[in-house]
Amino acid sequence: MELWHSHLLREKVDQSSLLVQGNRACALGALDAGVRFFAGYPITPSSEIMETMAYELPRVGGVFMQMEDEIGSICACIGSSLAGKLGMTATSGPGFSLMQEAIGYAIMVEAPLVVVDVMREGPSTGRVSAPSQGDVMQARWGTHGDHPAIVLAASNVADMYRLTMAAVRFAQRFRTPVTLLADEVVGHMRESFSPELVGRYRLTSGDFDFTPGYVHPDLAREVHPPHVLGSETHPHVTGCTHDETGFPTNDAHKSERFLHDLYDKVGNHRDELCLYDMKNEGKGRVCIVAYGSCARSARAAWRLAEEEGLPVEVLHLYTLFPMPVEIIQQVARRVEFMLIPELNLGQYAREVRKMAEEWTTVIGMGKIDGTLITPREILDQVSRLIGKYESV
Amino acid sequence: MPLEIEQFLHTERLPHMWCAGCGIGIVTGALLRAMVDLGLKREETVVVGGVGCSSRAAGYVDVGTMHTIHGRALAFATGIKMSRPEFTVVVVTGDGDGAAIGGNHLIHACRRNIDLTCILFNNQVYGMTGGQTSPLADWGDRATTAPYGQLEEPFDLCKLTEAAGATFVARGTAAEIEPLEEVIKQGIEHPGFAFIEAVVPCPMEYGKRNVTGGAVAMLEDEKARSLSRAEAAALSPAELRGKIVAGILHRDTERREFQRSYAALVTRAQAEAAEQAAAGESAGEEAFV
Repeated sequence: MELWHSHLLREKVDQSSLLVQGNRACALGALDAGVRFFAGYPITPSSEIMETMAYELPRVGGVFMQMEDEIGSICACIGSSLAGKLGMTATSGPGFSLMQEAIGYAIMVEAPLVVVDVMREGPSTGRVSAPSQGDVMQARWGTHGDHPAIVLAASNVADMYRLTMAAVRFAQRFRTPVTLLADEVVGHMRESFSPELVGRYRLTSGDFDFTPGYVHPDLAREVHPPHVLGSETHPHVTGCTHDETGFPTNDAHKSERFLHDLYDKVGNHRDELCLYDMKNEGKGRVCIVAYGSCARSARAAWRLAEEEGLPVEVLHLYTLFPMPVEIIQQVARRVEFMLIPELNLGQYAREVRKMAEEWTTVIGMGKIDGTLITPREILDQVSRLIGKYESV
Repeated sequence: MPLEIEQFLHTERLPHMWCAGCGIGIVTGALLRAMVDLGLKREETVVVGGVGCSSRAAGYVDVGTMHTIHGRALAFATGIKMSRPEFTVVVVTGDGDGAAIGGNHLIHACRRNIDLTCILFNNQVYGMTGGQTSPLADWGDRATTAPYGQLEEPFDLCKLTEAAGATFVARGTAAEIEPLEEVIKQGIEHPGFAFIEAVVPCPMEYGKRNVTGGAVAMLEDEKARSLSRAEAAALSPAELRGKIVAGILHRDTERREFQRSYAALVTRAQAEAAEQAAAGESAGEEAFV
């Protein structure tokens, strides 16, 4: 399959790279991962994903639809997924709120689905072009009932491309919705970008295969056989708790087993699902745990720290859920502080604290004024923590 | 000897869940017979329901079936049809599911004129949740949430869907099932959005609060109130109150169908892409020279 479908995007910056917007890179990643169905509803700051799909999908024989609202969009996507063509949609906070019920349905019927949420300041209309990471817990717990969640977070344009591909792969392999979170600034920024550049960003957590159109041949053990409408099996699909026949069950044992299977197919595969990158491993007294735009600041802070002789590690998370418990606890055991900068009031810090506070002090560093956290702000906090420790 | 409709019926799931006297099963039977008559293939037919008594009809039809979330059946069906245009997709919904929570999807499916068939079972009440009032209940009707009577006038869904762009609009009743079966058949064959309102009795939740007599009386009443479009044309609006205008009420074969328009767009876009690729290559060569 040819990478770089886009005629529009061939604005060459130099021989090897293109200046690409994050949202467009997301759409390109989806196309290169084989996504052929997209339904959406316009919303800032995610609309460019939809616009790119509107132009590109017909050119590769795919389906693009602008639906009457976000609920219609995600439902059309799930319908398509169950008919055999993975559906993808993209939105921002208000639309993401509207989609929550259908996300639960997709979990229940085990439909592969990719939802991109380019986060803006909230709640409600908030500020439409102010970056935020306020939807982290919504991405984890937005739909009702106990359920698993796979949530990825992009920090730059290359991430928008490759994590969209990862989301497609995870959705297909685990037959469940995957949410890709991007801060407004990640969706709207333009960076030079090329497939070679994507290849250079290695993930500590392993050999992720970014081959276009890649579909994992086997399914995880706990994933039930797929329902494909129109196949020889002509299945019944329901959002009711069901058994292996596909029809609703009121049997307590069967219901419990079914819901546990949904949980386990995600929770038992953290080694595959948890993508992260560790910088300066084992050399820091403070570990900055960051994702999205804050991870860029964290990486820059680490470079500044090197110059200033401060012992800092960075744990850059690409997968927020399922939580990378093992690496967080491993780091927690060796550092004095875990510092978590995020564009919310400590949504992820609270989660990290639950699993790390036995060994280390977890400090949240939240900001909700719609501006980014700068490397210097992070470093100042690092200095304060280390200074405070030394004065004791 | 098994009945012909059993090829499309989950007989192992019988007896069905509907109350005694309910009209949903009667209309579901008509749908099954229409499917037999049309010779639909099980692996190329999908029936989608939302949530509610009517939507549960999907679970008894032995083709690919979906029981989805409340009000959104048409949106799911839209995704299925666009993904697999060769499928025959039928949506079964109710007056609450289709006209209240799902009203927006209904009018947009009409506007799009996408090749789906929507059978809306109108029993004028929320049956599954225990008798709450519906947007199709008549003014003054009693319900658990309208103990003093409904103060809102109902939709005329056939007028609504016609105005919204549906290209096949029909109405029938459980009381006169043969004409309804014929209408369903024609609706499925119609190459565009077909909307069929099936008026069905709900003696348990609607009837007991609003009608004297049981299921049979309700069916007889439906029959007595039914009239054809020609008969209706002779009546004044006041005389038409409470009447059920049945039959095919609107048919338009001129309006563009969405899926076919989209297929044409894909052909055009692919040709353009190929042209640009060819032009791009030659431009590149020229630049080299």
